[in-house]
Amino acid sequence: MHQDGGDAVRVILETKNRSKPFLPIEAESIIPRNFLKGTDLTVYEGNKERDLSELFWIFVEGTAVSPDKVEVVLKGDTARIKRVGEYMDTGAIRIVGNIGMHCGNFMSGGLIEIGGNADAWLGREMLDGSIICHGNAGHYCASGYRGEKHGMKGGRVEVMGNAGDFCAEYLTGGEVYIHGNCGDMAGVEMKGGHLIIGGDATRPCGNMKDGTCTIFGTVRRMLPTFKKIGMQLLPEPQITMEVYTGDIANRGKGTLMVKPFGSA
Amino acid sequence: MTELLVKNACVIDPLNRISMEIMDLPIRDGRIVESVSSVADVIDAQGCLTLPGGIDSHSHVCGTKVNFGRYMSPEDMRAGRTARRGKMHVTSGYYVPTTFGNSYRYSTMGYTTVLEGAMAPLEARHTHEEFTATPHQDMMANTLFDGNWAIMEAVQKHDVRKAAAIVAWTLSAVKGYSIKLTNPGGTEAWGWGEDVSSVHEQVPNFNVTPAEIITTMIQANELLHLPHSVHLHCNNLGKPGNFQTTLETFDLVPDSNNGRQTLYATHVQFHAYGGTTWQNINSKAEEISRSVNAKPQIVMDMGQIMFGRTMTMTADGPMEFNLYRLHHNKWSNHDVELETGSGIIPVLYSKKSLVNCVMWAIGLELALLTKNPYQCLLATDNPNGAPFVKYPEIIGLLMSKRYRDEECATLHSGTGQRTVISSIDREMDWNEIAIMTRAGQAKALGIITQGKGHLGLGAEADVAIYPIRCRDVDPSTEYRKVTEGFQKTMYTIKRGRVIARNGEVIVEGANSTFWVNPSVPEEINVADDPEFVKKFKEYYTVRMSNYPVQDVYLPRGKCIRTEAMR
Amino acid sequence: MIIKDVVCPFCGCLCDDLEVEVDGQRVIRVQNGCALAESTFTGSNRLPAPIRRNAMGWEEISYDDAISDAADILLSADRPLLYGWSSTHGETQSCGVHIAELIGGVIDNTSTVCHGPSILAIQEVGHPGCTLGQVKNRADVIVYWGCNPAEAHPRHMSRYTTFATGFFVPEARHGRTVIVVDTRRTESAEIADEFIRIERGGDYEVLSALRAIVQGKSSIIPSEVAGVSREQLIRVSEICKKAKFGAIFFGLGLTMSAGKYKNVRNAIELTDELNRHTKFTISPLRGHSNVYGSNEVFTWITGYPYAVDFARGIAFYNPGETTAVDILQRGECDAALIVASDPGAHFPHSAAAHLAKIPTILIDPHQTATTPLCRLQIPCTMTGIDAEGTAYRMDGVPIRYKKIIESSYPDDAYLLRRIHDRIREVQGA
Repeated sequence: MHQDGGDAVRVILETKNRSKPFLPIEAESIIPRNFLKGTDLTVYEGNKERDLSELFWIFVEGTAVSPDKVEVVLKGDTARIKRVGEYMDTGAIRIVGNIGMHCGNFMSGGLIEIGGNADAWLGREMLDGSIICHGNAGHYCASGYRGEKHGMKGGRVEVMGNAGDFCAEYLTGGEVYIHGNCGDMAGVEMKGGHLIIGGDATRPCGNMKDGTCTIFGTVRRMLPTFKKIGMQLLPEPQITMEVYTGDIANRGKGTLMVKPFGSA
Repeated sequence: MTELLVKNACVIDPLNRISMEIMDLPIRDGRIVESVSSVADVIDAQGCLTLPGGIDSHSHVCGTKVNFGRYMSPEDMRAGRTARRGKMHVTSGYYVPTTFGNSYRYSTMGYTTVLEGAMAPLEARHTHEEFTATPHQDMMANTLFDGNWAIMEAVQKHDVRKAAAIVAWTLSAVKGYSIKLTNPGGTEAWGWGEDVSSVHEQVPNFNVTPAEIITTMIQANELLHLPHSVHLHCNNLGKPGNFQTTLETFDLVPDSNNGRQTLYATHVQFHAYGGTTWQNINSKAEEISRSVNAKPQIVMDMGQIMFGRTMTMTADGPMEFNLYRLHHNKWSNHDVELETGSGIIPVLYSKKSLVNCVMWAIGLELALLTKNPYQCLLATDNPNGAPFVKYPEIIGLLMSKRYRDEECATLHSGTGQRTVISSIDREMDWNEIAIMTRAGQAKALGIITQGKGHLGLGAEADVAIYPIRCRDVDPSTEYRKVTEGFQKTMYTIKRGRVIARNGEVIVEGANSTFWVNPSVPEEINVADDPEFVKKFKEYYTVRMSNYPVQDVYLPRGKCIRTEAMR
Repeated sequence: MIIKDVVCPFCGCLCDDLEVEVDGQRVIRVQNGCALAESTFTGSNRLPAPIRRNAMGWEEISYDDAISDAADILLSADRPLLYGWSSTHGETQSCGVHIAELIGGVIDNTSTVCHGPSILAIQEVGHPGCTLGQVKNRADVIVYWGCNPAEAHPRHMSRYTTFATGFFVPEARHGRTVIVVDTRRTESAEIADEFIRIERGGDYEVLSALRAIVQGKSSIIPSEVAGVSREQLIRVSEICKKAKFGAIFFGLGLTMSAGKYKNVRNAIELTDELNRHTKFTISPLRGHSNVYGSNEVFTWITGYPYAVDFARGIAFYNPGETTAVDILQRGECDAALIVASDPGAHFPHSAAAHLAKIPTILIDPHQTATTPLCRLQIPCTMTGIDAEGTAYRMDGVPIRYKKIIESSYPDDAYLLRRIHDRIREVQGA
């Protein structure tokens, strides 16, 4: 370790083969800040606590004195590793392949980039920071937790592929951008923030109270309690959208913009 | 034969007029004795404050609606969770802890006896199952009669003996401890989505008024010689101007018992509002405490609110629905056939809300303006006003004017005009606090004869040793030491066994449940009354033979028998 | 000998007025019960002794060996799953939770394939409900949504709703309006005053529309929603608003169709909206006799009604992640204990198949569809027949099951206590 401090450190964690590869790993200790002190961390495999080195090959390049200069890279069979980036507040995490549930929960700063797909609950209850998923996201992307009144409050989640059901449930602030399609009930219970869907959606924005949702693909089964109030020309891309207010069933005053049926 | 000697305890035992005496407490087989042998285990209390185990005379910890509160609040469950540790099970919940959570947190605070605030007779079995899972406190259940059809029929006929007979049968069937009335008449009206707005308003379809229900039940209570008095949650809880209802209710109460109060009025803070709307609501604590000061037959508890989130849950269905209309939080409701109701909704008490600030002040005013501390006990109607883990802060506030002033400075600026808290100089002393948290409860609940609430010879060895050297602490200025000290005992001893040490519970529990079996003359036993039996069969949806709680549910039940006066 | 006021251990109605004639260890006749009760009490084919798989098939073993094996299997697992619980009584359920806590496992009950979505909805918006006697005595409007009580809860309507004589509804059927909502005309629909036929998966939209109509905003609703005319929706909304007391009951039609818990949530929010006009309650029609009991027991011990994960030494709850079907479908668990339920029959194939790949223990009196999937089966008493204990009715009312015959089988609570103690003993060593 250099005494005068380094510019940046990259910690590469590559998964080792496991005798029971289907057991989930809970890895909430994998946040950039924790690696400032070294790599002597533990994770859980089922109900057993394991050292990081038992489950990962660890490579460290460079040094850093501040957590924002820490980058963690995850490689290998990472699809069942949960809670990576939980409560992360700075720095970067890059996952080469797929990632397990609860990636980036409660995140308040920094960047998570996922090369493959993300399992359910990506960015749950996020406060700030940025998540980019190049593949698809599972159910409950950028959502809240059961029983809480608020979900994601800030930050940005961007999914290049599709998202599952209940995307952005309880969205309260921040931005969620799904380039592909969403499953059922995207934006349900939303009360703030912006949800943008490049592809299709089914029954979007049930019980919406506030916030905006913009859908560029096809909306299937528009809910009967949204009222069309006019048209709006968006600056970029240049499309005139139909504007609805609702969800009236919930006395909501949110804005739902959809591309008119039949337009290019 | 197990012996324990607590040495160098600075004891405050109001019922035996002991105040800050350094003494030893010899304990054998779970009771305080004259002396023990030299092989006894020894605990050195190091001159620290030693009180009888705490007694909570009104807390919602076990039963249908409490479990509903947990079930519907996973976000609260995760907020208050603790891991498995030693003998301690996993716990969850901050405002509505799981049963083990409640038990460990009460033990940590030195509480060894709790009265469950409300139990619907039809669902008593559930309460008793949870009692067994709250293993470190002796438990007893307030049994709800406020919307009871058979009772209202007896009240309508002015038949006190009949009412007493129904109470007797019900209490012994469901192994309850006392008569609880929550918004009497109102819970039946809520069966139709309505409420009653005064003690003299007729309950729809039943031709009785709340005043009649209350006075008849008070008479029945005394006829049965029940250890506790009628325990009343007045009508019109939470409504601006309701202090009138409270005063009218208090005026109904005779002085019918030499040993204790004739009415226990619970969480009176919620019933002490002046004004006519939320905009002009103000404190009527002075009027209420003036009434109580002149009426030794009334004991009340504070119902103090503390700022923060919490869960409200009461049998007062209509009140809970009103809160839903105001705040639109998630709302649950559970009306119990022929008996009572309940509602549950989370709330947030905020310093930014003038109304909440007034409420906060009122609870303290009631305590400070009531001359006799036996007449105003410390409680928050857990969890309605605040979770019970906030009791130590309340103690700090009662003992220190400075603490109160500092808090008042952070409140909504309009609070001063609506309340009198800042003009009250009184500071409770250690002895008064001991009364408000154990001696007073023991007397009010009628459990002194069971050995609770004091540390005299023969008392149950329920002892709480707090890390506070009373003689060295000035509660008026060092209120933080007071608050911290009451949060965690050095030792909590129950029936002579050390249950908790510095916040860790170290043994498994074996609590007892107190219940009352009042006997009445054969000729008025309702189990043999064909009308009662017929109506039970027609209107309930369980069979009368399946209704009583079997003995197996009370593995260490303590039955108190009483004889009704002919 | 005739035993009166017997509690039926079949469905969530928990009827407690059965009369059962017994002769020694046999039930001869059941009176007052429905057809489902009859078969519950008089069925036989109980497994005589514990059985364990070996190379050739099955061998009978002693209870002591079975208990010891079971404890060993659970102790050596990294992610054990304990599932079922709905047909047994409270003490057994309680013991199960304590075992799961000791071994850092996941415990789940049959809510997971039934009313789990109802629970999720209640956790979002609460539950405005009541005991069944309130409905019997007061309700003049009954709504059955997405359920068919005539078939699955045969005495529900006669004991608690439509045909029951109540204090304020002495004319029973003639004093009530019954509304049935379903995707097809069921047996229950035949007795309805108003039948609403909904397109499959359209419940959410219809409920949203009804909420808006009750608010007075029918003008924004299109002429048809999910196959239901606006006219019918307005008519039904008026019936509900004019009720003195309305009671909604719902079942798998809501919980298991697209949207699941959102459907139930919408129905609860409709009930909340109706409560601004009159008294309305809503309740789930629980299927198993004591599934609600397992919810209650799990909750007061752990804080959560099902799907509880103890792997991290705390209680963690996240349906979709900690639910049995999801865990099995992901192949996540490496051992399983199944008590008082039949996942072999009720789970999706992909989930049930995993049970056969791991060491699975089954505690159940009968050979069931789960038996071929397990490694070890331990027969026990049948709660409500040769074992007593607490059950919670679908409305939360706790009733004690009676023991009506003696048998030589051990109570499942006893078996679990012994397994628990054995695990504690090994861990302490």
